[in-house]
Amino acid sequence: MKLGLTRACFGCRPICYTTSLPSSTLNKPQIPIFLRPPAYSATSLDLRKWHEWAKGLAVSVGSSFADADNGPDTNLLCRELNWLLQDSLEDPKHDIRQSNESLMLRTSLDDLYHLWKQRIEQRRPFQYIVGCEHWRDLVLSVQEGVLIPRPETELIVDMAFDEISKNESLGQGLWADMGTGSGALAIGIGRTLGTRGRVIATDLSPVAVSVTTYNVSRYGLQDVIEVKQGSWFEPLKGFEGKFAGIVSNPPYIPSEHIPKLQAEVGRHEPTLALDGGVGGMDYLIHLCSGAATMLRGGGFFMFETNGEEQCKLIIDFMKNELAGRFCNLNAVPDFSDIQRFVTGVRR
Amino acid sequence: MALAAHFNLILLRLRLQLRNSYYRSPYVSSVNSPFNLSKITIINATRIRRLQLGCYYCVSNSHSYTSSSSSSSSHLDAKSYLQLSDGELMKQCEMSTFKASGPGGQHRNKRESAVRLKHLPTGVIAQAVEDRSQHKNRASALRRLRTLLALKVRNPVDVDAYSPPLELLQILPLKSTVRGAESGPQIGPNNPKFVLGMQALIDLIFAVEGSISEAAKILGLSTGALSRLILSDDSLRMAVNDLRASKDLKPLK
Repeated sequence: MKLGLTRACFGCRPICYTTSLPSSTLNKPQIPIFLRPPAYSATSLDLRKWHEWAKGLAVSVGSSFADADNGPDTNLLCRELNWLLQDSLEDPKHDIRQSNESLMLRTSLDDLYHLWKQRIEQRRPFQYIVGCEHWRDLVLSVQEGVLIPRPETELIVDMAFDEISKNESLGQGLWADMGTGSGALAIGIGRTLGTRGRVIATDLSPVAVSVTTYNVSRYGLQDVIEVKQGSWFEPLKGFEGKFAGIVSNPPYIPSEHIPKLQAEVGRHEPTLALDGGVGGMDYLIHLCSGAATMLRGGGFFMFETNGEEQCKLIIDFMKNELAGRFCNLNAVPDFSDIQRFVTGVRR
Repeated sequence: MALAAHFNLILLRLRLQLRNSYYRSPYVSSVNSPFNLSKITIINATRIRRLQLGCYYCVSNSHSYTSSSSSSSSHLDAKSYLQLSDGELMKQCEMSTFKASGPGGQHRNKRESAVRLKHLPTGVIAQAVEDRSQHKNRASALRRLRTLLALKVRNPVDVDAYSPPLELLQILPLKSTVRGAESGPQIGPNNPKFVLGMQALIDLIFAVEGSISEAAKILGLSTGALSRLILSDDSLRMAVNDLRASKDLKPLK
């Protein structure tokens, strides 16, 4: 816990809870643009002007971001621009190319100028700009201070479902999502569990806890998912040997890679959720040891890793340091064929 | 949700099977090949560079527009592919995503959720990029794959003993004289069942060497009425025109 907090303070951008506001105001989650009321009027002519200006900025980027740090190119930025427009319009399918009529927006035209400037000049992630990320069949609210869920991580839900369909008792059991962030895994899994299945989602970050709570309630899963604040297994004291499944997408980027990350990630996403220490394995190892204590016999774990090397190290660690505690240890590839996940079963 | 989850489960299984080199290319002739392709002819599509569907596909090297008349024990013919459930069809596909460069995962803010499905028995490829979620792109790619299979994979038709299958009757206009009341209301291009009828229609037009008037006669329609049906769907129109072009016939407009 201490370590995690220190990391947060060293993070490149201080998160806004340094003021003395009461914590309820402080951690009030932001509402994604597409869910805000259409309270701003504009003319389609003005909106077209904005769109042209924004497109001009996107075009001026060319491949410079892609060349510098594997960032987005003009094509991608233009696609994002259209998504921003869709989220902002009262009717996402409205065609702004037509005439000069008045229409309603979910954010002001001034904001749209400001937001797109942030996208291009500061490389602020598109998901923070619109306040949401489309993940599996979910639309999750995200904001600064919370990791934007990645497409790769969707596979963990698929694997969980696979296990649950092979062994129904897992679906009626207790699951944990460690370091839940936006709550993506907890919600994805919570929706595949049986009637008696429950999930506890933990996160050290109060912002993550408030965003997860918001997302959980948006999907009506308050009775299925409990959100607890705290470092890794600390909030789970008393549940030793009780879990049917533990999943996590913990910070796994080696500290030495952090300064060279794509700007959207390195400058804007919480270091707390990315930096896995030297070699990137600090939390993964902690999770493996914890899984040995927390899982019940036959319980299943799935962790996301940085790739093949970490997968191998984890499997070695479990075979040697935790000998006899796990079986069916596997490295599972993502859709880009990178060994991305480690899975196993508690004996 | 259960359906979506099932779909994902199959994707995962598929992936795992591929890891174990479970599949071999159906084009490698092998007695062990799980799919007998003797009855299936893939249209040589090198000339159709890209259908206006936003999908790309890979092209088989078969130049043949003819199909084998053998009606022996084929395990799966082209029509059967379209009758598979989404899950079953996915099992026959290899799925990949793009932008495999770099380490991925937490390192990247990734908005490229493009999905590419390759249907292994036929080599047909469908892709979808336009949605924000990989999940939705998978569903779109699968829908497109069905259309492409209908357009590109031909079933043999015996013209002399032909009677139009129900799925074809269902897409015909009500004035068709071979269409009974039991065929129900006309199914339009937006109905998912349209692809099955479309496939049967192209099979027939293929069997009569691209002649719309021949096909119209068999279907109890005027040539004009059949032309209008073909022109009502872009992909159908393009497939028929491509077929006609191969027979040196003028395109329908």
